[in-house]
Amino acid sequence: MAMRISLYESKKALTSPIILFLLVLFTVYNIFLIYNSSDFKKELHIANDIAKNYGLDITDESLLKLENDMQEDLSYLNEITSEKVGQTFTSSGEFFTNLRFEDQETYTEEQLNSFYDLYVKEMYLGTAKGIDDSYNKIDIATLGEDGIRSYGLTGSAADTLRKQFEVFEDRFEQMKANAEHKEWFFAGKMYFMHSLLFKSLFLSIILESIILIVLSTALITNYEFENRTQLVTFATKRGRRLMGDKLSASLIVSTFLSVFLLGSSLFIYFIVYDYSHLWGSSISSAFNWEYQFPYVSWWDMSLLTFLIWSIALFYACMLLFAGATFVISVLIKNSYFTFFVFAAIFAILFLLQGFMPKSSNLLFAAGFNLSSLALNPHQWFMASKGLLIFKYYEWITVLVWMVFITVFIILVIKHFKKREIV
Amino acid sequence: MLVIQDVSKNYGNFTALKDINLEFSAGVYGLLAPNGAGKTTLIKMLVTLISPSKGEILYNGTNITNFDEEYRDILGYLPQQFGYYKHYTPKKYLMYLAALKGIDKKVAHDRITELLKKVALSDVANKKMRKFSGGMIQRVGIAQALLNDPKILILDEPTAGLDPKERARFRQLLTELSRERLIIISTHIVSDIESIANEVVMIKNQELLYMDSVENICHTLEGSIYETSIANEELESFRKNHVLLSEKQERGSMLVRFVHKGSPEPEWTLKSPHLEDVFLFEYRDDLSLDV
Repeated sequence: MAMRISLYESKKALTSPIILFLLVLFTVYNIFLIYNSSDFKKELHIANDIAKNYGLDITDESLLKLENDMQEDLSYLNEITSEKVGQTFTSSGEFFTNLRFEDQETYTEEQLNSFYDLYVKEMYLGTAKGIDDSYNKIDIATLGEDGIRSYGLTGSAADTLRKQFEVFEDRFEQMKANAEHKEWFFAGKMYFMHSLLFKSLFLSIILESIILIVLSTALITNYEFENRTQLVTFATKRGRRLMGDKLSASLIVSTFLSVFLLGSSLFIYFIVYDYSHLWGSSISSAFNWEYQFPYVSWWDMSLLTFLIWSIALFYACMLLFAGATFVISVLIKNSYFTFFVFAAIFAILFLLQGFMPKSSNLLFAAGFNLSSLALNPHQWFMASKGLLIFKYYEWITVLVWMVFITVFIILVIKHFKKREIV
Repeated sequence: MLVIQDVSKNYGNFTALKDINLEFSAGVYGLLAPNGAGKTTLIKMLVTLISPSKGEILYNGTNITNFDEEYRDILGYLPQQFGYYKHYTPKKYLMYLAALKGIDKKVAHDRITELLKKVALSDVANKKMRKFSGGMIQRVGIAQALLNDPKILILDEPTAGLDPKERARFRQLLTELSRERLIIISTHIVSDIESIANEVVMIKNQELLYMDSVENICHTLEGSIYETSIANEELESFRKNHVLLSEKQERGSMLVRFVHKGSPEPEWTLKSPHLEDVFLFEYRDDLSLDV
């Protein structure tokens, strides 16, 4: 019976025009976001081809093999250029540097494409050869001191961050020893694929899911009071236990909405962008280096593992947001106010760290909240994330808030059992 | 048996009900009092939506709060303001409420068909309730109260919004249902219960005034109800000196019905008291008026 009631409650949200409209709107927006960034997708096959032909690991042997094969491609390029313009080049890069606009028609599109592929391969090869140099230049302890200075930390806060950077340094050395960074992946500085997937897309989906989850949970929880049916429904055999069913329904609907949004977007994303030979590549690959510092995860994780854990973390956060909304809804009894109160709490938690003293460890404690966690999906499980650097940051945040929210849920349900329904 | 024992209900400093003691067994009980007298408060306590500030309500000797689901399982309740989902059909809404009442889907389906027929809504069973009249909505409310074939049926102002034909049909339905069942009907309309209630409960000044049969309650004014014709211009002074129950224009003069407890005038005609007379007398505005 409980399941039947939960399904009836779920239907209230899933047949709500505003929820359905937003679900469609958000899905369309996500598809637009995916396609809008796909102008370079034809180049992505090169990283896949390299991984396919030379293996995921970047070794001296595989680099030599790649370089030899590229020599053949360069000979092909020079064969054509010497025939057409009487010139030869030492690299495809040199060819494109000297290629004038009016000379482009000298070559067929197919020829230009193959030259460009070679150019991209040269870039990959150059980056791969420079990995050791680039990583040897990284000094984690100095980075830590820079961080302490730029955040203006003093006292115990500075000590804590320094210690965390020491832990990070160990992990960084271990990562280098494992050669996790020496695996092929899309060139970060060129394509920003990690940001596209885990920052733009994941963040959009997270915000969209939160909006839908807050609206649907508030709708389900307050439905009887807003339709003035509370006197009928809470006087039935089920009585106030109906509020428990509404909680289950909110979690079911939240699951459906978040899985639908994430599932449909990821499905389209992986159709548009080819990752076929890079699933096993390390998320800490040197190619996954977009800005000043490469992405370095706390654990040795492949892209697939990272994606699976990210999905799991996303889902855990969404359930917790549904639980938090449920608590606010029961106390406030109005969907609109619930939405605004949730938004206010969400924003305050996100900004909280900024109001903490820069000499106290409270500064770090304030960062362990669901808002800060949810708004930084590209940095989940990563060691390089400023004041949220802690190794178990994600798990601690989720567990602490799970306990908080569960306790609050139990309290509001107990309170509701005794509440006068008028 | 349902027993209300020393029940009071306070909202801050305001007392809604004070030391109410009542006992209900099978039969139809009319809870008669003007609006704002505390009928709805009493009913909401009977259906566990609110709790007494003092005292307790027992069903077969057990506090109804402790009985919880078991108690509400035998309860049918129609609130004064019957809430419904506008975009649902009666059938869909009743199926939902059947689930809340713990009724199996298949059983609920048959029961709903039967009940919609009983309240003459079969034709609109699959129409959205958005366009229903007040009377139709009230009939959906009556159907939902009967879904679980309740042993205790509590109806708060059930005839509100019903036209005379619907009221007659409703009274007929209640008479049918009253066998081996406890029915409590709260109303401020005397005619709703006068002919069907075994006993009438009246609340005055937050306290229990009467719980007795219609006959016994009427007996309290036996020998005190009179009718007489007076000239229209005398009406004002008559009103000042007597508790008027009704006044009616009749062939150029005014036929008045009133309460008088002393020696009557020779031209006055003694009448048998009706429940309405007791209601109007007890809940009169000017309590200082001598009778």
